[in-house]
Amino acid sequence: MTPTATAAPDIQSWITDALERAGKREEPGWALDQRRSGAAHARALGFPTREHELWRRIDFRTLENSFARLDPFRASPATRNLDDLPPALLERLGAETGRIGLIVQRNADVVIEQNAPELARQGVIVSSLDHAVVKHADLLKGRLGSLIAPDYDGYAAMGAMLRSGGAFVYVPDGVEAAVPIRLLQWLDGTGQIAAPRNVIVLGKGARATIVEEMHSDAGDGDAIAFHLGGTEVFVGDDAKLVYGTLQEWGGHVYHYSNQRADIGRNAELQWIQTVLGGRMVKSNSYFNLIAPGGQAFVHGFMFGDGRQQFHLHTLQRHLADHCTSDLLIKGCLKDRARSVYQGLIQVAEGAQRTDAYQANRNLVLSDTARADSIPGLEILANDVRCTHGATIGSVDPEQMYYLQARGLPKNDAQRLIVEGFFAPVIDRIPLEGIRDHLRTIIQRKIG
Amino acid sequence: MSTESANLDLREGYTEKYGFHDAEQSVFKSRRGLDKDVVAQISDMKGEPVWMKNYRLKALEIFEKKPMPTWGPDLSVIDFQNIFYYVKPTSEEFKSWDDVPADMKRTFDKLGIPEAEQKFLSGVGAQYDSEVVYHKIQEKLEKLGVLFLSCDQGLKEHEALFKQYFGTVIPSTDNKFAALNSAVWSGGSFIYVPKGVHVDVPLQAYFRINTKDMGQFERTLIIVDEGAFVHYVEGCTAPTYSSDSLHSAVVEIIVKAGARCRYTTIQNWSNNVYNLVTKRAVAYRNATMEWVDGNLGSKITQKYPSVYMMEPGAHGEILSIAFAGKGQHQDAGGKVIHCAPNTSSKIISKSISKDGGRAGYRGLVKVQKGAVDSRSTVNCDALILDERSRSDTYPYMEIEEDRVTIGHEATVSKIGDEQLFYLQSRGIDKEEAAAMIVSGFIEPIVKELPMEYAVEMNRLIQLQMEGSVG
Repeated sequence: MTPTATAAPDIQSWITDALERAGKREEPGWALDQRRSGAAHARALGFPTREHELWRRIDFRTLENSFARLDPFRASPATRNLDDLPPALLERLGAETGRIGLIVQRNADVVIEQNAPELARQGVIVSSLDHAVVKHADLLKGRLGSLIAPDYDGYAAMGAMLRSGGAFVYVPDGVEAAVPIRLLQWLDGTGQIAAPRNVIVLGKGARATIVEEMHSDAGDGDAIAFHLGGTEVFVGDDAKLVYGTLQEWGGHVYHYSNQRADIGRNAELQWIQTVLGGRMVKSNSYFNLIAPGGQAFVHGFMFGDGRQQFHLHTLQRHLADHCTSDLLIKGCLKDRARSVYQGLIQVAEGAQRTDAYQANRNLVLSDTARADSIPGLEILANDVRCTHGATIGSVDPEQMYYLQARGLPKNDAQRLIVEGFFAPVIDRIPLEGIRDHLRTIIQRKIG
Repeated sequence: MSTESANLDLREGYTEKYGFHDAEQSVFKSRRGLDKDVVAQISDMKGEPVWMKNYRLKALEIFEKKPMPTWGPDLSVIDFQNIFYYVKPTSEEFKSWDDVPADMKRTFDKLGIPEAEQKFLSGVGAQYDSEVVYHKIQEKLEKLGVLFLSCDQGLKEHEALFKQYFGTVIPSTDNKFAALNSAVWSGGSFIYVPKGVHVDVPLQAYFRINTKDMGQFERTLIIVDEGAFVHYVEGCTAPTYSSDSLHSAVVEIIVKAGARCRYTTIQNWSNNVYNLVTKRAVAYRNATMEWVDGNLGSKITQKYPSVYMMEPGAHGEILSIAFAGKGQHQDAGGKVIHCAPNTSSKIISKSISKDGGRAGYRGLVKVQKGAVDSRSTVNCDALILDERSRSDTYPYMEIEEDRVTIGHEATVSKIGDEQLFYLQSRGIDKEEAAAMIVSGFIEPIVKELPMEYAVEMNRLIQLQMEGSVG
């Protein structure tokens, strides 16, 4: 392959387009400046190289080779109401559409934004980010772009520059959002980039449950699509947020995303992340415990088959004393799938009485699959309790024997064991419909 | 001494016990800095065969080409051109302490080496700056065909055997510091244990840096033939100078089928030494390799002894203790590479940081394709004794097989208030109670040390714990 094959994207023309489109929506100057700064960083940083510790174990070159030819602004096909959505997505929505807050993004645009009447009465805002950045500029300024540094890496920079769609959720002080809020994203076909940015804000003592889902069609041949996501979460003092994600892209989607959460005094974040789809997935989730008493409970799983590659990076950042973080990431791999879990607990100087836990469990179902686990600790305070554990192993032959001895075929026995392995994470997913769907996908993947 | 006050709070007693230095009386000293001429000169001085000279010169090229590591502690302050790469202390190597020049003998007497030799050891090597000045092994072992020589003597007297193994475990291209060592190596031990021979009392080497701004690059090659056993112990100290020294060793070990090798290090360099060491062993069918690695001294240590398990049934064990006090950064750990089925490994790491020190574990468990039914467990515990100190854990697990059992656990904590309270309520004062708890913490590793080292280690920990609770 010649070096010219990785033709760098034409940053100049992309930023010009991005600014023009944003200008038409009357995006305020500070937001446009963020796009410009993203462009400058994208130019300076380029694609991450293998020298970068977080990029040594995953290879995005196939994406990078065709990057310049992807369309970062593909409009959605006409979607006036729910019935125009692809059937697969409609099925995901089920019957509860009228009673929830709902944002649906298709390609680069949000096509449906609907706030439930109960939520509207409570003063809860559920909006596309594109609208919110104009209408609720006061709430977004200083928050949008403040947690995901545009110079984090070349992709984060491009995400800041291209930002297209995403959701804004705001729950005022003391309000307990009456119904769940669902954020859905769909990608039509290949050859495009969607770069949504979500901003979630919970005021003091607020409560909310949010579920984000990512789906697409099955793709077509070797062509690819790219999801370049970002989510910035602000959990106010005494607030509690339950945030679940379900990622079920087709095999043509490359996924890169950054998730960041600031957790306030005595606040609680329950974060559940499930990764099932996509060809290659790179996700960086940072949980910042910024004030005493904050708590972060992080649960995630990934299930790879075929030639899927997943790279999950988490950072539990204890910046204040008396905080708790508890993380469990489970991975299951079959065929030639590969996963990397790279996690770190950081305890800042003075963050005494920290209680931090990090566990990574991996179940490898085939001898051609590969799992890497890199759990780390960086501790700069002494009055702490920090523990991590990681295991990699195959299905326990005794468990298999037990089940098979009771007449279960091998496949069913394996399915039961894998379901059992994932159960502690699935049980934390807030909505029953989504839990059921996850079980269906797992069954399908085990085959 | 001006260096004394800087050293006092860290490892009390070090300056008096180990930090002294003799007047520099070397018989030859290369000029400062490193280039082809210096490397060629070292080789010529030693009267080496041409292949070794060429090997050194090639390694120098590799060293110059390789970038500094981009990870781990900051090494950018090392000024490679300010170091003396070769300091020859005496004109020859001695077999009797009486022949060793008085100054040096006094040094080793102070360190207790000749005494230990009589009491507990099968053989002793003592290296002073660049060369081994004393080497002796018990006659009965010599008769059994056990070789215990300085690496230079090994090359001279057993060239065929030496050449067969030298650089096969750690090629000069392995990393920047292995390349440096390959270019300027001098001293170290060469050990061969013939088939089936059990050396039941440890062999020991003692490394001492005396000259200021000196780099010590010893090279050790150990071959344990089928069914044999050897325990090799090394200790290191250096004077406390205000400028920094560099110690960059390469240790290669071959453990053949059914053999067992244990390699114990008590590293107690003074706090001005950069200790950047590459240690690696290959273990064949049903062989066992054990590293017991204690890191107490140095300014920065980067050392990850590794075991490559090449054939079924091989077993690797790494026990690592790191103690980081003021101004110290111990980046220790270990690597186990499972290259064959039915191999097993165990890593236990205990690190303690105090007075702003930084101690950590960095390790790798790798299971290569085909190494089915491999088992590995890693346990890392860290104790942080005050709020200014730091502990890091970076375990890497790279698993390319499914029928394996791999586990890793790590905890970081402080000395428990309940534990302290319990001991104090029984009339033990706070300082002593803390020292007892730390001794208990490292006990699983200390108990693996030879008796006299275990005593010494406990004493060092006691010393370092003084004044730590208050």
